[in-house]
Amino acid sequence: MKEFNIIIEICGSAGEGTISAGEILSRFMSGQGFEIMSFDSYPAEIRGFGKCVAHTRISTNRIYSPGKLADVLIALNDKHSISQLSALKENGLLIYDSQPPRPHKEDKSVVGWAKPGMISYGIPLNMLAHKAAGNARGMNMVALGAVAALLHVDQHGFTDSIKVRYGKKKQIVIDSNVNSFLEGYNWTEKNIKKIDPHSFKGMTPSKQKEKLIINGNQLVAQAALVANLSFYAGYPITPATKIMEILSRELPKHGGVLLQTEDEISAIGAVIGAGFGGKRAMTATSGPGFALMTEFTGLSVMAEVPAVIIDSQRAGPSTGMPTKTEQSDFNSAVSGGTGDCPRIVLAPTDTKSCYEATILALYLAEKYQTLVVVLLDFFLSNSIRNINIPEKPSSKYLDANIAPDKNDLKDYQRYKITKNGVSPRAIPGTPGGMFFSTGLEHDVYGRPNYSEAGHLEMTQKRFAKFNTVLSEAPAPEISAIDRDEFDIGIISWGSSAGAAHETVMSAQKEGINASSFSSMMVSPFPEKALIEFADKCKKILIPELNFSGQFASFATQILKRPVERLNFITGRPMASEDILQKMRDM
Amino acid sequence: MPFNDHYVIIGNGPAGNHAARTLRKKDKDAKITIISDERVPYYYKPKLTNFIADEIAKEDLMVNFLNSYKAKDIRIRLGQEVERIDSESKTLFLQHMEKINYSKLIIASGSRARVLPAMSRYANHLKFVTSYTDVMAVKEEIRKAKDFFIFGGDLVGFKFLRLLNSMGKTVTILIYPNAFWPYNLTDNMLAQITESLSKFKVDVIVKDDISIIDDKNGLYRVKTQKGIEKNVDMVFSFNGLIPNIDFAKGSGVDIDHGILVNEYLKTNVDSIYACGSCAQIYNPSIKSYTTSIGWPNAVVQGEVAAFNLLGDHKIIESVGRKYFDLEGVKIKTIWWEDIDDEV
Ligand SMILES: Cc1cc2nc3c(=O)[nH]c(=O)nc-3n(C[C@H](O)[C@H](O)[C@H](O)COP(=O)(O)OP(=O)(O)OC[C@H]3O[C@@H](n4cnc5c(N)ncnc54)[C@H](O)[C@@H]3O)c2cc1C
Repeated sequence: MKEFNIIIEICGSAGEGTISAGEILSRFMSGQGFEIMSFDSYPAEIRGFGKCVAHTRISTNRIYSPGKLADVLIALNDKHSISQLSALKENGLLIYDSQPPRPHKEDKSVVGWAKPGMISYGIPLNMLAHKAAGNARGMNMVALGAVAALLHVDQHGFTDSIKVRYGKKKQIVIDSNVNSFLEGYNWTEKNIKKIDPHSFKGMTPSKQKEKLIINGNQLVAQAALVANLSFYAGYPITPATKIMEILSRELPKHGGVLLQTEDEISAIGAVIGAGFGGKRAMTATSGPGFALMTEFTGLSVMAEVPAVIIDSQRAGPSTGMPTKTEQSDFNSAVSGGTGDCPRIVLAPTDTKSCYEATILALYLAEKYQTLVVVLLDFFLSNSIRNINIPEKPSSKYLDANIAPDKNDLKDYQRYKITKNGVSPRAIPGTPGGMFFSTGLEHDVYGRPNYSEAGHLEMTQKRFAKFNTVLSEAPAPEISAIDRDEFDIGIISWGSSAGAAHETVMSAQKEGINASSFSSMMVSPFPEKALIEFADKCKKILIPELNFSGQFASFATQILKRPVERLNFITGRPMASEDILQKMRDM
Repeated sequence: MPFNDHYVIIGNGPAGNHAARTLRKKDKDAKITIISDERVPYYYKPKLTNFIADEIAKEDLMVNFLNSYKAKDIRIRLGQEVERIDSESKTLFLQHMEKINYSKLIIASGSRARVLPAMSRYANHLKFVTSYTDVMAVKEEIRKAKDFFIFGGDLVGFKFLRLLNSMGKTVTILIYPNAFWPYNLTDNMLAQITESLSKFKVDVIVKDDISIIDDKNGLYRVKTQKGIEKNVDMVFSFNGLIPNIDFAKGSGVDIDHGILVNEYLKTNVDSIYACGSCAQIYNPSIKSYTTSIGWPNAVVQGEVAAFNLLGDHKIIESVGRKYFDLEGVKIKTIWWEDIDDEV
């Protein structure tokens, strides 16, 4: 089976069906057995304004990152697509509307800006949509039909996917979409003389197990449900809103409660309250909401109450760019807030690990009686993958509270000093298990205590949890472990890790001896493993999506040696092409 | 903002590209745009047959000297067909419904395959080798096919015949001596050519015509009026080239077979010039128009049209005399040459 890899982008205006066309494409390709990763970008503004891009990567092999430049750009809207041409490969295909309803003024048509080397195919999208259904709404389906014909994709399978997508709608909607698709397909087959090499002919991968087509937000919600979440409080914010939306529907069905609060301070307050009451509780937010929550996060650590915050990062500071991805809440997640405030921070590296991280977060928060932050980002929240149906967590992860035994309850010390920093936790109402709980520094009973020795002892207790927490973290992912020495080691975190691992493969093809390291747990950090890895590498490169190199500064303190940084704040996910270029220059 | 001229060139062949290059050399500030309805950058048509046979790769088919349009600040619009010219408002109407304004225009739209009137009803069954797009449509099929029928011919047809022969294919050729392109063949020439072709695995049919071509299960049955019948995989037509000028109809530019231009390559409309194989050029010495053919002529004419558009008064002359070897027959040509790479 030959390797096949293609990136298709659909660009239109909000409301033109750009995203739904991308979704149909992804579903169809997944059904055909291909690996897919798709990522949409759209404006924060209301529908009807602004540019939308549905980006889909389709491959016969494992996909690590969405890829930077597209092989095919379908332009549903000339104005927006002109700027999107910069994301099309030099020899990419442009599919555009050759019969728009109104003539273009000079330079207002996308094809006028295609570079020599790009191959453009004009399809009368608008005209064919009218022919199929009497209006322009089906242009997206006409375009999919055109692409299917151009790339030799099975039209019957595709129309089945359209029927599934619109299955719950009226028959006339289904028919209009299918007819529009077929118009595009047939017209293209008859009229376009293809001169490019892209083709799906003979590229049908062997059918795999049933796959789930899902994004990070959906997986977080699903994981929370299987991990016995019983309380969610939150305030909607892009890109985390979807988590709350799903849980508002599903959590009550599982016997849980969802509370929409007036703001994020209140949300985390309610979560800590529920945690105090012995419930598994969490909230999800983004940078600006997380900033408000830091008001309360210290309480979770100080009072040793489990709390989970999902922070899906977006470009900041402040309101920033709500629909653009960034990894710039690292500092704030790992050390934001007041005092010496250790907390666990997990940064899933791909869609699937959003599921694992959420289950782990609820478990660790409960077991270690502390705050756990899970750092997603706009890209992880929204990019769609087809993955194997995730396994249910084992019982260990579902009930992790260390409850006081009879002996403990004789003289119950809620903050008893233990080797691993974890004290038995009584749920309010436990006979004999009463205790004080405030945000003040306290003694073992929870009574306020400001003594020098007491503050030191309690601070040490809170930090002691870190020693054992690390043993519960999944092992860092290291590529190309079979060698002893590397010219370049890439250390990455969060959503950039996929691109880093992919780069290692392409670098090796170019003769660059490279490896990569990433850890889902970033606080506490597996420092020993990191140092061992770095010792094998002549040079270290740290790519991340923020301006100041937040993680690079953090890693430098551990490694105590200079590292090369690669920072982007383009609002787009990390691209392996950019990492590779940097490696060539190193 | 100072007003800069916008020179637009229709056509991305040798005439168009040499015109653009000359314009840029002489005028550093003007906006220059090349428009072509083909989707690929500037390439050597004469090497298309080598490309079919995989003797050269796509990269070697491309002409390199203008590959850096960006450096020369020449805007290139590919895959965009000019549908109509309005010479009054100096506007071009493109097929995808974009309008482009020009201050001066050079038409270098070349030529396309000529289909003989008798053959037009079989046009659906015929294949051509006139452009990269044509070739991409048939390349794979040629590789797989065994039996070919060629209506010919012309100079390219004979090149193609040699190619098929070298690929071990079986070929039948029907030569129309009275419709040979660009000159009719004399009986003498025809006899020599037939004799020369006898060393190949080729069936030559002369002094006959087609009575039927039909398509059965992907195979073509070709029957001549004298009753010869062949079953073949592909049928090709090589009957010369005719100027691409449909889009210029109704524009006010005078047209005959090609776009009529004077010896300075200017049309009857002040701001419009034409050159290369779309042009029919006035020759004062014979007081008549001749259609331009061949790559070297297109190059020279592109340059001359550009000079004159900028105010010069260069008279077009044909490039040096050559003899073209057509299967042993020396055809005197001032226009057709084996093309080496441009520098
Ligand atoms: C297979 C083959 C082999 C040949 N071999 C030889 C040889 O060995 N020696 C030799 O001297 N000559 C040869 N020729 C002839 C030679 O290629 C032509 O004479 C030469 O290309 C003419 O150049 P041109 O610039 O005038 O036109 P062309 O090269 O034909 O270019 C015309 C351009 O105009 C564009 N165009 C046309 N209409 C429109 C429109 N409406 N809108 C936008 N763009 C348009 C076309 O897309 C094309 O880019 C051969 C030709 C062929 C087809």
